[in-house]
Amino acid sequence: MRFDVDSFREIADSLVRNKSRSLLTGFGVFWGIFMLLFLIGGGQGLKQMITSNFEGFATNTGILVSSQTSLPFKGFKEGRYWRLSYTDVDRLKQMMPELQTVTPVISTGGRDAVYGTNTSTASVRGIYADYQRIETPKIRYGRYLNDADILQERKVCVIGKRIYNDLFPDGGDPCGAFIQVGPVYYQVVGVDYSSGNISIGGRSDQSVLIPLPLAQKIYNRGRDVDLICTAAYSGIRMSDLEPRMRQIIAQQHQFDPSDKQAMVLINTEQMFALVDNLFMGVNFLIWLVGLGTILAGVIGVSNIMMVTVRERTTEIGIRRAIGATPRDILSQIILESIALTLVAGSFGIVFAVQLLRLMEKIVSMNPDNPAASFQIGFGLAVAAALLLTLLGVVAGMAPASRAMAIKPVDAMRDE
Amino acid sequence: MLIELKDVNKTYNNGQPLHVLKGIDLSIDRGEFVSIMGASGSGKSTLLNILGILDNYDTGEYYIDGRLIKGLTEKQAADYRNRMIGFIFQSFNLIGFKTAVENVELPLFYQGVSRHKRHELAMQYLDKLGLTDWAHHYPNEMSGGQKQRVAIARALITNPKIILADEPTGALDSKTSEEVMQLLSRLNREEGVTIIVVTHESGVANCTDKIVHIKDGIIGQIEDNREHHASVFGTSTIMK
Repeated sequence: MRFDVDSFREIADSLVRNKSRSLLTGFGVFWGIFMLLFLIGGGQGLKQMITSNFEGFATNTGILVSSQTSLPFKGFKEGRYWRLSYTDVDRLKQMMPELQTVTPVISTGGRDAVYGTNTSTASVRGIYADYQRIETPKIRYGRYLNDADILQERKVCVIGKRIYNDLFPDGGDPCGAFIQVGPVYYQVVGVDYSSGNISIGGRSDQSVLIPLPLAQKIYNRGRDVDLICTAAYSGIRMSDLEPRMRQIIAQQHQFDPSDKQAMVLINTEQMFALVDNLFMGVNFLIWLVGLGTILAGVIGVSNIMMVTVRERTTEIGIRRAIGATPRDILSQIILESIALTLVAGSFGIVFAVQLLRLMEKIVSMNPDNPAASFQIGFGLAVAAALLLTLLGVVAGMAPASRAMAIKPVDAMRDE
Repeated sequence: MLIELKDVNKTYNNGQPLHVLKGIDLSIDRGEFVSIMGASGSGKSTLLNILGILDNYDTGEYYIDGRLIKGLTEKQAADYRNRMIGFIFQSFNLIGFKTAVENVELPLFYQGVSRHKRHELAMQYLDKLGLTDWAHHYPNEMSGGQKQRVAIARALITNPKIILADEPTGALDSKTSEEVMQLLSRLNREEGVTIIVVTHESGVANCTDKIVHIKDGIIGQIEDNREHHASVFGTSTIMK
């Protein structure tokens, strides 16, 4: 094979000679590579958007929620209501050393938070300071609730991003201000900017966090709690602890430990696994569709090259008669095929990258959307280009072998 | 002897076996201007293909300049064609999307000659054939005679041992035909190029110095025609 200016001119000549045909053939490859890269980028962005809902959430978390029993137990009928109580927290803490954190939550939804003339809808949640081990806060101003707040039952609160934006539209540090939620005034001590979308008794950006003992008193909750959030030490699987946790709670509240409906145990580990599986499926489809489209495009290239070779029988015959070796012809056809796929494919890559950039821009225009990266990596683009070269060779193979079979006498015969 | 054929046989096996060449013996010396003449179906095209290493023969021997041409690989055949033989075709067979000078350069491209050098050489040959002004025109912008002269330049550029012309005037009118034949004869006389013309026209054959008559795959008469005494209708016709 000879690689010089002429080889490239020969290729460019023969591709440019039939512009519309080269264009249409190239479009197949262009669309294929564009589809694959765009889908990969889109899928990745979507995955990031969805996983960002779990942002700041410990992956090893189990959340206990009481519900209605579905089995009769020890003389109790099914369909009985029961409630988690504060003693369950202590019991889990003592009996399950694998749990790093056990912390209760009281939540009340839909209350008006008022500051001056501004109002916002808030869900008030009573928590302990160690709740931050379950849902990591992003403190923008001030601080999180601490143990002293809890012990002294101070009327202080940490507000979510949305509440902050609604009540303090001018921005600035709101700490020290008193906001009214329901009948009570609380002093703001911190702003939490985390935007995860897992709502445990309310979305975090709409919540007003107050000390739990205070919430119990204000909302007349006695020793009841709504949720118990637990986090296991790393390396321990929450699903392994689940039966024992059920056993402990069931014994206390007299329901059947095998009664899965009586107590809902939300296991984030399983949720993460679910999302992972979902995206594995989505990825599989992306690759199937993308590669399939590229393949269809490449077969198109091969097909057209086949026709081209047939049309150029005389030309190839002349070349052979004046001294081109079969190898010269082979390399010419294959290089033409590579050039066609590579040029068309590069446009596909560029177009996909530009469109993904646009999509990223559009998504980020809505402040409610979490930040997500739709762009494909540089490595992936290079790999795509390499793949195209390879496919160009494959596409050129059949036409090239046909071209090689052309005898120089054919030049004289086909007139 | 530059070209020697000894008892060359060729049979085509497309369904019905067709014995085209039945023992051809032929010698052509350096610097000769020979025509091979015969009606269609006489085997002259097959003979030309064998002479031009475009086709294989079954039995016998074919030497160019003492070198046996038999059982060559495609690569060797291509190399021999490139270096030893220059082709002139009836339909010119120029590559339509290349300019005259690019067409003339092409054999040197396959020899791996550098771009600059082959361009220079191609321009020299075009100049020799009076086509300098047409060097950057495409074949479809030229007349038949000009195209054939480009083809002749392309055949000459590798400085081959033999020029094989297959009906070189077949697609030209009588005036240009005469010009092309005169050009070939001048090349033969002045440059000593060995030229073999395959034709069925006696007028064309008459321009050459030696006429080899081929009929039904056998060489008939070999006529010495240095006097160019034949009429345009050939010596053997009643219209002489």
